[in-house]
Amino acid sequence: MVSTIQNTDVKQKDADLAVVVAVTTRAVFESADDDGGDVYGVGVAFPLLQALHKVNERLLEESPAESLLFDVILITTDDEQQQQCSRITGSTRHYGLEVSRFCFSSQEDFTESLLKNNVQLFLTTDRNEALRASQNGVLSALLDQQLASCPSEQLRVMISGDAVLRPDTDPVPAGQKGAQSFSTQLGQMRQKFGIFNSPLSIVLVTLHGGRESCGDALRTLRSRGVSVDEAHCLAGAPRGPILSVLRSHFLLCDVVSCLEE
Amino acid sequence: MFNPYGPSLKQPSEVTTVDGGEEKDWAAAKAFFDNLKTNKPRPPKPRFAVTIAVSSRTLFNMVAERKIYEEEGVEKYVAHQVEHESEPLKPGAAFPFVQALMNVNSRLRELYPDSEELFDIVLMTNNHAQVGVRLINSINHYDLTIERFCMTGGKSPIGYLKAYMTNLYLSKDSEKVTEAIEEGIAAATMFMPETENELSDTQLRVAFDGDAVLFSDESEIIVKQHGLDTFFEHEKEFENKPLAQGPLKCFLEALGKLQRKFYAKNERLNCPIRTFLVTARSAASSGARVLKTLRSWGLEIDEALFLAGAPKGPLLQKIKPHIFFDDQMFHIEGAQELGTISAHVPYGIGQKYHRGKLIEQPAKKE
Repeated sequence: MVSTIQNTDVKQKDADLAVVVAVTTRAVFESADDDGGDVYGVGVAFPLLQALHKVNERLLEESPAESLLFDVILITTDDEQQQQCSRITGSTRHYGLEVSRFCFSSQEDFTESLLKNNVQLFLTTDRNEALRASQNGVLSALLDQQLASCPSEQLRVMISGDAVLRPDTDPVPAGQKGAQSFSTQLGQMRQKFGIFNSPLSIVLVTLHGGRESCGDALRTLRSRGVSVDEAHCLAGAPRGPILSVLRSHFLLCDVVSCLEE
Repeated sequence: MFNPYGPSLKQPSEVTTVDGGEEKDWAAAKAFFDNLKTNKPRPPKPRFAVTIAVSSRTLFNMVAERKIYEEEGVEKYVAHQVEHESEPLKPGAAFPFVQALMNVNSRLRELYPDSEELFDIVLMTNNHAQVGVRLINSINHYDLTIERFCMTGGKSPIGYLKAYMTNLYLSKDSEKVTEAIEEGIAAATMFMPETENELSDTQLRVAFDGDAVLFSDESEIIVKQHGLDTFFEHEKEFENKPLAQGPLKCFLEALGKLQRKFYAKNERLNCPIRTFLVTARSAASSGARVLKTLRSWGLEIDEALFLAGAPKGPLLQKIKPHIFFDDQMFHIEGAQELGTISAHVPYGIGQKYHRGKLIEQPAKKE
């Protein structure tokens, strides 16, 4: 059973124009050392939520009537969490998180909930959930433990240069549509800020290809209105050391194989 | 005491574990390069390579563009670079050095086709990625083998230098270079001469000063604080005690290991790497300690030149190195005046003096 509750503490976004991002409650709230109290502990996705909030704040500063904002919803993806309705809403209020809606669903029907809510990006710490959502046509990205130490004042989104396709591929495969439109929207948001001191940084990472791949990706993204801030070309160098310096919140990749790696 | 970070050539045993993910990335990259129609050589595994990180302003001449950045701000600077991105940049101070490294790689690949022990050149720049398109176009124009880069969009490069296990970092920004040295990475600030000497295109020639470059500044401290006579006595007394190592010792070691690969294939006379020690010490009094120190480290240097205080410029003009490392700006300027590409190593007591006089230290920046 799927139900959606609005968070009355937060001003609702224009559903058609905002960028809807769903994050699982398991990523946002820590239930490991659960003492059964009213409020959950802070989870790995906290800095991410704060960074999303920061982007919205700065967008509204630039233009108070701005409608291209992040619309963040929390989604439960298992039966156990589905029962914790008031604890989830209570914890959200306690921390003052800018969450506009709560979606309570179970393991079986959470993808339905994603589609119903027009989610453009689904973020989870669970690889299987990400794969399932992706297979159902919802752009997904995996959050890892490193996320807890990511910055909270700047949203850092990584785009995979190996997977960016040239504009001449026609028609665009279904799986890539979501990533392309999301990155285009990111590009539009990014344009509202100057080169320095932006609350949003778009980072291009080419893991396997060399400078040609990277150059192509930069130009392709530019043609879609996405101006990349940082570019790293690894050409087969081990990714771990570089990624831990980069500290991006998640990787945007339009190919399912990215999730399987 | 200088704590060297990057081992000269990183051996597998010095790296903790190679995880399966690493090998997958490597295999995917290998497949990518093997499939390219252009026959481009693929970059080596960082773990085995001698990694040289160069900044965009050392690789290319960006003096005019830098002026725009300083006078008109970053937005105008980036717009200018984007507008001119099809125009290749002119070569910078590190350009001949990079070409010489590429030549050594070609020779190594001929003799050892399956080896990963090669130079790996990484572009390490603070530039915004939009400027990167012009940088990539310029690299393409000269067909340089640079496949790895970090365009940090303003963030410090130090973390990335470590991530690549960088053996040598060259930049125009002395603050970044100083920070790198403090973090244990061999680094130097590059200076372009007005007129350039004609350099070899078959042999990489690298010249090093001794004290505070290959060796620690312990002896230089004695000269500055107690004078030359005390220095000579001290060096004679401690002739058999090896000096402590300086910031560029490990880089010399890395060059030595590559040289020995040529010797092993009977190519000593035709070796495409030649190293020089150019020191103000004199052979008669203080030179012995230096040679004995190198020997105790198991390092060879091809030519040791003792100037006994004479200026380095004219001698370097004859040597024609692709790069000359020294810790004292006085020598850097002298070399530059006579056409030698010089690299300042901001390490040790020499930074507090200029032409023999103690520099008034400005109040430390907050």
